[in-house]
Amino acid sequence: MEFVGSASTQSCITQKRGRRVYGDDRDFKSKNLTAERRRREKLSNRLLTLRSLVPIITNMNKATIVEDAITYIEKLQMTVKVLSDQLLEMESSSEESERPRNDEINAAEEMKKHGIEEKVEVTNVDGCKLWIRIISKKKRSRITKFLEAMASHGFELSDTNVTTFKGATLISSCLNGVYSYKIEAEQVKELLQEIIKSI
Amino acid sequence: MRERERERERQRGSRSQTLLLLPDPIFFINFFYLQNSRLLSLLNKIHPSLIFIHCFFLLQTDRRQPPDNHPKMYEETGCFDPNSMAEGGDDGISQSVKHHKEDDAAVSAIELELQKHLAFNVEDTHTQSISINSNTHSIHDPANQNHQILPPYEHSHSNWDSGVVSADHMGGFDQNENDQSQQSFINTDISSSFAQSQTPPLLNLLQFPRCTTSSMLPPNSSISFTNPDHHFPVPPPTSTDVLYDPLFHLNLPPQPQPPLFRELFQSIPHGYSFPASASRAAANSLFGEIGDERDATGAFYEDGDVGVHLDNRVLEFSRDLGCIGRRRETAGKPTKHFATERQRREQLNGKFKALKDLVPNPTKNDRASVVGDAIEYIKELLRTVNELKLLVEKKRCVRERRKRHRTEDDDEGMKPLVDPADQSYNSSLRSSWLQRKSKDTEVDVRIIDDEVTIKLVQRKKIDCLLFVSRVLDELQLDLHHVAGGHIGDYYSFLFNTKIYEGSSVYAGSIANKLIEVMDKQYAAVPPTSCAY
Repeated sequence: MEFVGSASTQSCITQKRGRRVYGDDRDFKSKNLTAERRRREKLSNRLLTLRSLVPIITNMNKATIVEDAITYIEKLQMTVKVLSDQLLEMESSSEESERPRNDEINAAEEMKKHGIEEKVEVTNVDGCKLWIRIISKKKRSRITKFLEAMASHGFELSDTNVTTFKGATLISSCLNGVYSYKIEAEQVKELLQEIIKSI
Repeated sequence: MRERERERERQRGSRSQTLLLLPDPIFFINFFYLQNSRLLSLLNKIHPSLIFIHCFFLLQTDRRQPPDNHPKMYEETGCFDPNSMAEGGDDGISQSVKHHKEDDAAVSAIELELQKHLAFNVEDTHTQSISINSNTHSIHDPANQNHQILPPYEHSHSNWDSGVVSADHMGGFDQNENDQSQQSFINTDISSSFAQSQTPPLLNLLQFPRCTTSSMLPPNSSISFTNPDHHFPVPPPTSTDVLYDPLFHLNLPPQPQPPLFRELFQSIPHGYSFPASASRAAANSLFGEIGDERDATGAFYEDGDVGVHLDNRVLEFSRDLGCIGRRRETAGKPTKHFATERQRREQLNGKFKALKDLVPNPTKNDRASVVGDAIEYIKELLRTVNELKLLVEKKRCVRERRKRHRTEDDDEGMKPLVDPADQSYNSSLRSSWLQRKSKDTEVDVRIIDDEVTIKLVQRKKIDCLLFVSRVLDELQLDLHHVAGGHIGDYYSFLFNTKIYEGSSVYAGSIANKLIEVMDKQYAAVPPTSCAY
């Protein structure tokens, strides 16, 4: 007669089957009844939500909800793909924008307006650790170039923070020398200034 | 169940001779069911005593004309007064059997009943051909295979158990042993033994020595012989009217094909208590192992009961004998829909799995989480679709604007950032949010208008800033703010960026690109260097 019991909860209990205690059915049921009920309610609630999202519903039973959701998701994915392709097409055929240049020009002007100076500060906190602080003009992809330069010199940056304000960029980070020899702060400072100028 | 029967039999002691007095329905049930040897084995399993009756049926596969002495047989049986046998015991059959033990009348009556059933219920031929009178004559005919059965008839005496046993053995004969004559033997026996003084022949008729019958068994017969010593349970006819003549008047239509028990019983006029009870008894005995029924007293069962018990019995029956398969599954749902239910479950699981495969970030594997992920994904897809629509729209507007400007030729290199005419098109704020997860990276992209906030969490210790900023440059995002650092095993960063004008990135593209790059980096870096 175990079929009778299992058939009713078969669809619900899939993972607990292995743990079912046949000789102890009643205890199992009563002990776990509330948990099982909660689980089932959770599942049914979520299915209801899923159903509410999907506009096209055929029948109202579990299987069809899932099926309809699958078809709807696929449809949406197709739409996304179509739209993104369209966008790419438009993108490729559109003209280049000249806006960034304007931004740069504006940035330099703003900096001057606010009296922010370009600066490079290096502080030696530990044998190999240096705190650096750079204020520079905001330029497009300057940060990337800076980071690249840092990496190429063998400096390892940790705890980097970048902020931008009115056309000026502030980079502060902790610099660890890859080469484990003592790094002179002054040397680093000069190095950094050169880098900033170059990028 | 069988043990219970046996116990009851033992308790009843000598009252095991109920075999012969199986009620009418059993006969035709037997007949129809035993068209197959499969059924035969089935019946044997269920109740050995039925075999006895089965033998009569099985032996006759052809349809033959009833012998001329058949009417005579009926007349004889008609004369029989069942009341004389009944003593109102709780088991009419056993009572009658007891009587029979004392005198052959009961036995012969039983036999007559048998024959009667055979005559009525079997389609035209068979039992009709059984001529009671011919039994005794052909008993000793060794040439006839069926006749061999008869000699055993005569061997044992006054031992119903053995008779039953032999009946059991008789049941072992399959249809191949179609022998009219045997039935005719029986018929003759019955008729001959109708008189009370003729007990021995009838008894012999009913008793088949084991050895003989077993030898006649086909080698591959699935019939299992029961222990001859085991007392067959007495199917309670619940009525002493077992031997009533009403059966004569019973005009049961021949069943064209082996009907299910239920149908059979339904075909029986329910007005007859005997048939009802008999049906029940038949059901009980056929399905066997139902000790409860055996103790039934002379109460008349109601038709409903029959159905109910039939259901129970059929349930056990069909579950015990899976080979008989999905017979009229009056049995409850479990057996009935076992295969379909299983299929349904598997289909449902397959659907859940498909749903899980669609979702980009599957978390857990249980149904509720899959559905939850699907919900989130659908919402995300909707957002993405809206965003893309907006972008396309914007792009189109910009294009048109540009064209217009070009044609108007009033552009001095400074394009207005926002055209009032366009604002109506782009009045809706572009907003989008999605998350992507990969093995080591988690990306959260939120876009409001032209500001993009990217949250990046990566597990391994790789200097990702460089790569990320590179990616962001590629995506034409202007890094405004970067914050983050170590958190335990993770790098966590927050990027505030602005989309450059004219760029048509959307959240999905950003996230995907980032994930792609990060994964590439992880793959490129050997694992040892990551460990600190």
